[in-house]
Amino acid sequence: MTALLSVIALVLLLGASLVLLISHHWRWSIVALALQYVAVFLLVQQVWPLGLSAVKLVVGWMAGAVLTASQPEAGLEEDAVSWATRIFRTVAAFLVWLVAYALSPVVVEVIGGTEIFHFCSLVLVGMGLLQLGVSTRPLRIILGLLTALAGFELLYAVVEDSIMVAGLLAALNLGLSMAGAYFLSLDSTEESR
Amino acid sequence: MNAPLIWIVIPLALTGLLWFFHKQIKHSALITFFICLALVVLAFVLPVGSFIKMGLLTFEIPTTLTLFGRRLVLEAADRYWLILVYGLGALWALGIVQSRVHRSFSPLSLLMIVLLVAARAVEPFLYAALLVAVAVLASLPLMLPPGGRPGSGITRYLIFQTLAVPCILLAGWAASMVDINPSNEVLRLVASVSLGLGLAFWLAVFPFYTWVPLVAGEAHPFAAGFVLSLLTTTALFLGLDFLNGFGWLRNSEIIIAAFRLVGVFMVVTGGVWAAFQEDLTRLFGYAIIVDLGAALLAISLRSEIGLTIFAAGLIPRLISLFVWALALACLQGRQIPLTFTGVTGLGHRLPLLAAALGLACLSLGGLPLLAAFPARQALLVELAAQSLPVAIWTLLGGFGLLLGGFRLLHVLLLRTEQGWRIGENLSEGLLLSTGIIILLLIGIFPGGILGDLPQTMLLAFPNLP
Repeated sequence: MTALLSVIALVLLLGASLVLLISHHWRWSIVALALQYVAVFLLVQQVWPLGLSAVKLVVGWMAGAVLTASQPEAGLEEDAVSWATRIFRTVAAFLVWLVAYALSPVVVEVIGGTEIFHFCSLVLVGMGLLQLGVSTRPLRIILGLLTALAGFELLYAVVEDSIMVAGLLAALNLGLSMAGAYFLSLDSTEESR
Repeated sequence: MNAPLIWIVIPLALTGLLWFFHKQIKHSALITFFICLALVVLAFVLPVGSFIKMGLLTFEIPTTLTLFGRRLVLEAADRYWLILVYGLGALWALGIVQSRVHRSFSPLSLLMIVLLVAARAVEPFLYAALLVAVAVLASLPLMLPPGGRPGSGITRYLIFQTLAVPCILLAGWAASMVDINPSNEVLRLVASVSLGLGLAFWLAVFPFYTWVPLVAGEAHPFAAGFVLSLLTTTALFLGLDFLNGFGWLRNSEIIIAAFRLVGVFMVVTGGVWAAFQEDLTRLFGYAIIVDLGAALLAISLRSEIGLTIFAAGLIPRLISLFVWALALACLQGRQIPLTFTGVTGLGHRLPLLAAALGLACLSLGGLPLLAAFPARQALLVELAAQSLPVAIWTLLGGFGLLLGGFRLLHVLLLRTEQGWRIGENLSEGLLLSTGIIILLLIGIFPGGILGDLPQTMLLAFPNLP
């Protein structure tokens, strides 16, 4: 059962993080973010109690809701929809997955846990960093930070199950989404002038 | 009543109350000033952790507050830190009205200070990373009030400060594992690398410092000056806490060598960029980088004198940054472009503003008779004793910033057709001239002004040499 859940989470993560990287529609991006947090929940509940791991899901969805409320149409505008850009990003994503695959046994050796679990966490960290590297738009940056942080939270869940840490990380995720919403509101105010 | 309640919980509650007054900018600035001043005075007079006898009454101010199973601890040794940060808050509150900064500055600045004090007080230490991250989030509306637009500097600032969180959390876990199993080299490597990265992100260390000059240019100069002063000072103290807490870390040759290497890089690159800078806000950013590099070099000396130099350099640095940021904000308030061309001949129209700009820059560059000189000179002497090439490079970096300062001074004093006049208003003039006098007094009588405050700071790090 655990293995099946891990595989479902892996497929969800790979798909969602790729959509987040190449999508130019904010609705698709927010849906992908929500699915990404479903995958994070499926993985975290393997090492944490169900109630505590549900925090990750709720917080992730709330972060998505906060970003949605700010109507981030302008947030993804910068990137002209070109196939070359999409192909480049997809190739870069495959490279990140390869690196994550190569590194996951090393992380298992140091931290513990399973390879598939750490492959997922490293994919998220890598995709988040890639997202941060390819754009300067506020929404993409916040999505990148949330993705990278979600990856780290997976990794960290294996070694730390403190409620206080979970709470503070949840506050940080929500704070980031609020910062993103604030940036987007500034952007739209500027444009409406 | 315990120490964390006095310096963390009550100020936090007052921050909430302050929000109701934030539209009356003068009142909120005054309230912030008095709150911070009261906390500084309390840090001076209250003997935390020991018994106080008042007539027949004897009571103790405990050091610890337990909150959700975690502890906030403020000991007598943290006095210097409390005086420093709340003193910083009081100082910057004085300039709120003159700088024409956004009205949310008062509550947000106090909130940041409280969160950063909590970050140093919290145990286990790893929670500090999360509290610093929350403080960073609070600083965003402070630097970028409604009406602004997030530029690449602010977004990079957010990225780097957020990425520091996982690094520090991981370092905290790995370091505690190394304490349990000292022979595990892999965990030691993980702890060192993640701590190094985390501190590099926090402190805007080479090569992650590109956001500093950009933020100085994008945000309101006064707000940027406050955030950069407070965050970097806190990050330096947290770095020392890490070194103090883990024996294997403070004895690691690699960590100390890394501190020295990045310190030199920061002083040299910051100095070179400052020497050829035409933008006043970026010059401000590069001066911060040079000064941070010098602070890292002082820590890398790994001796009591090195730490004393670091501590002695803090107050001059914070006052120089305040004077500089206030002068920049006053110029911006007058719609004067913050470039060398924009301030040409300004010394004839606004002599106090011009003097503040020039002297603050030269002070951070380590010019003799100005505030930062005694600590910088002592640093160069100690560095030369350990490694002459490092001392020479540090000297050259300092010269770069001084060159930038002299170029600025030259531009400010260029002859114009207008005659001399004092164009500053009374409050600006009073604040700026007091700042200038303090910069000069600390430079001429460093021991007399600072007293034993730097040595008091060392009490917080009993395990460091």
